[in-house]
Amino acid sequence: MTRFLEISNHTLFWYYTASNIAYLIMLLVALKTSAAHSRKLQSHRLNWIKETPMAPPITVIAPAHNEEGSIRVAVRSLLELDYPQLEIIVVNDGSEDRTFEEMREEFQLRMIRAVYVAEAKSANVRGLYRSDLDSRLLVIDKKSGGSKADAVNAGLNAATSPYVCIVDADSILERDGLLRIMLPILDDPKRVVAVGGIIRVLNGSEIVTGHLRRVRLPRKGIEIIQVIEYLRAFLIGREAWSQGNMLTIISGAFGVFRTDLVRAVGGYRQSAIGEDFDLVARLHRHLRQQGVEYRIPFVPDPMCWTEVPSDLKSLGRQRARWQKGLLDVLWQNRDMLFKRRYGRIGWLALPYLWVFELMAPIIEIGGIATIFLAICMGSLSREFFLQFLIFGYAFATVISIGSVLQEEITYKRYNDWQDVVRLVSYCFLEHFPYRQMHMFWRLQGLSQYLRGDNTWKPLKRKGLESARVG
Amino acid sequence: MPSIFEKLYRVGPASLLLKAIVVAIILDALLLVFILLRRTYRKWYFKKRDARVYEFRQGWNALISGEIPFDTWRGNAFDRRIVEEIALDALEAAGPEESARLLKFLRNSGLIEKRIFEARHHTGWRRMRALVALGRTRAPEGIHALAEGLRDSDLQTRLAALRGLGRTASPKAAEEILGWLGEAGLAVPDLPLQSALVQCSAERPQLLIPFVSNAKGPLREVLGRVLGEVATPSLGLDLLQFAGDDLDELRASVARAMSQSNSELARNVLTDLSQDRVWFVRLRAIVSLGKQSDARVIPLLVRGLSDANRLVRLRAAEALVGLRTEMLPIFEQVVALQDRYGLHAYVTALENAGLKEKLEFELQADTRMSQLQKDDLSGVLETGALRTVEMAAMETVPKSGAGLL
Repeated sequence: MTRFLEISNHTLFWYYTASNIAYLIMLLVALKTSAAHSRKLQSHRLNWIKETPMAPPITVIAPAHNEEGSIRVAVRSLLELDYPQLEIIVVNDGSEDRTFEEMREEFQLRMIRAVYVAEAKSANVRGLYRSDLDSRLLVIDKKSGGSKADAVNAGLNAATSPYVCIVDADSILERDGLLRIMLPILDDPKRVVAVGGIIRVLNGSEIVTGHLRRVRLPRKGIEIIQVIEYLRAFLIGREAWSQGNMLTIISGAFGVFRTDLVRAVGGYRQSAIGEDFDLVARLHRHLRQQGVEYRIPFVPDPMCWTEVPSDLKSLGRQRARWQKGLLDVLWQNRDMLFKRRYGRIGWLALPYLWVFELMAPIIEIGGIATIFLAICMGSLSREFFLQFLIFGYAFATVISIGSVLQEEITYKRYNDWQDVVRLVSYCFLEHFPYRQMHMFWRLQGLSQYLRGDNTWKPLKRKGLESARVG
Repeated sequence: MPSIFEKLYRVGPASLLLKAIVVAIILDALLLVFILLRRTYRKWYFKKRDARVYEFRQGWNALISGEIPFDTWRGNAFDRRIVEEIALDALEAAGPEESARLLKFLRNSGLIEKRIFEARHHTGWRRMRALVALGRTRAPEGIHALAEGLRDSDLQTRLAALRGLGRTASPKAAEEILGWLGEAGLAVPDLPLQSALVQCSAERPQLLIPFVSNAKGPLREVLGRVLGEVATPSLGLDLLQFAGDDLDELRASVARAMSQSNSELARNVLTDLSQDRVWFVRLRAIVSLGKQSDARVIPLLVRGLSDANRLVRLRAAEALVGLRTEMLPIFEQVVALQDRYGLHAYVTALENAGLKEKLEFELQADTRMSQLQKDDLSGVLETGALRTVEMAAMETVPKSGAGLL
């Protein structure tokens, strides 16, 4: 037994160290990439792109389900996006409230007849409507398919542009976000098949009529910790993975895809729990099987702001769901592991996700349990335990502060001194007890998936209409 | 000799931990100090910059007219950057008169010459910055320096030069780009190249013809697309040589370019291209036919309504609706086509254009038809469904899985 505990504790130590070293390497890669990206931006002036005669058209697809409080503002802000050739498709996904009526009144929707080719599977469409005020706006009214994937697929079927941008109707896209996210495509349209944008935390910021007026840090600690998590995941993780063309997740709240390719893989998988991750995995699979040279980059500056859960219950549900989605997609794509044809995706990206994302809650919670057991049995050196805690804490804090630094030297959206001080303070506070709670939620997610509990419970949100979210 | 794993095992995690803790804590401290110092420096820098910008803004007219001697700010890099930035920002939003005044200032103050020098003699990041600034000035004297930038080994620098040349919108810049393409081939991505060439060759599109004729492979495709964008009626005969070209892109470009020409010859070419084997060539031809605003193209557009490709059908319908002519005869032809997909495309286009009521009015006001015929057509218009030979129409369904709403 003592031997088992010793091995378990050492495994936890090396696992934790390896995980942090991986993040440290990613931090260094991300810092270098961001510097290069900032310089690259100097040669692009966004207004030049707006004037370019060759900018490819984009269809923005925004699924909406029971968004009566915010839909007017959300659609209006989508119509105000800066992009030369734009089509907006809002999919009313069987809303039970006044979402559709709100849009019909605000944008003077008129039913139209159109050929709708159901290339991607989706629930029955009740009607297509075009706005009399702005012909770029098309609204699809459909029965609820029970998933975001279903709604996006309906939008995909009606899209007429070579590129589609999937956004959440309850998120705020910065006005020049589309111009920025299209930069890699404009630079290399043949190889770039999809681009991921960054998602930032909206809570606490000031919003006026659907536009972000002032970026502020949220008030609640639980929200600030999520700010750090988002910075770490996007500005370090995704930035680094995309550098090696191994980006496996493009957030469902903001990403651009080549329409023909998304249709070729059948659109979003309706039954997928993590539909965004699933789509990118299937794109990688499809393109690697075809032997096509392609790139899926991540662009850190086109920002999409979204509201994050502000209470523990909602956050727990969200994280459990993310973990279920991760397991679902990794399991579906397990045949890609260590196969030559899938290259670095199969040899590096997916194994990393298996070991350091999927297994993390099992190993960490298991490890904590064995440490306590070892303490109780007196087989763990107190000195070693203490040192391990200090080391783990200090190392993880380096990564968290590193992500704040990355934000500071690149995009610097938190201008207030007070905000930065609070942000840095929470870099020290997030590791206990939040990290352990987070691991527990993720473990719950795994358990729910294995028990077949895939029900979706809506998260509590305040909506965009409020002057200050959070 | 023990392996690295054996060594690590002997050292053991415990002794490594202490060192790791120290390193991690030092790293934490360094990161925090860096953030603190950087914030403090930036605060100081922007305060100083804001104050200086304000001073320059106060005396802006005197500054650009030369009343304030250029030497008072030129020698200081900090001041020079501010003045240049203000001038270039103003230039991008200025009308012709103000542009001329600002450009004169940029020349007289030597800022353009300085940027030309930097673009020629610096490398890397500094060269790229100079090229971007030169592009923003749109000054013709910068074209040579920008063209030299096209030969840089770094892609981003080449792109900066290319975009800069595009901004000048000068045929001279187009010549430089085309000459460079002749030497280096396609050394930049398609879209920036196309955009730059469209901007530069819009004034003299004939520049492109010999290059399109001689280019090969993907470069020919790109140049073909550019030609399609900028072609004018004056190029009519020159373009005919490409109407039967093997390259789909080039035939599509010819189809697009022919939209500018209203001649019989153009119509004949477009008639052929509207039956091309490639859908996007047909699409271009249909769009171009629609732009001709001539009743003689109606039968071709009606035929386009039964095309196998959805986009071609939609564009044909839009073109038919867009023709400023009586709608009833067209509607009769559409119904006679007995293609329910074509009919739906047409009715959709009518609804989108808000012209359905107008057609209904024309129908009711018509004196040729009997009331029965009018009611039949009115029913078709209202329901969007063909009353008769529905089964025959079904056979023309172009794609399985298509549904009508």
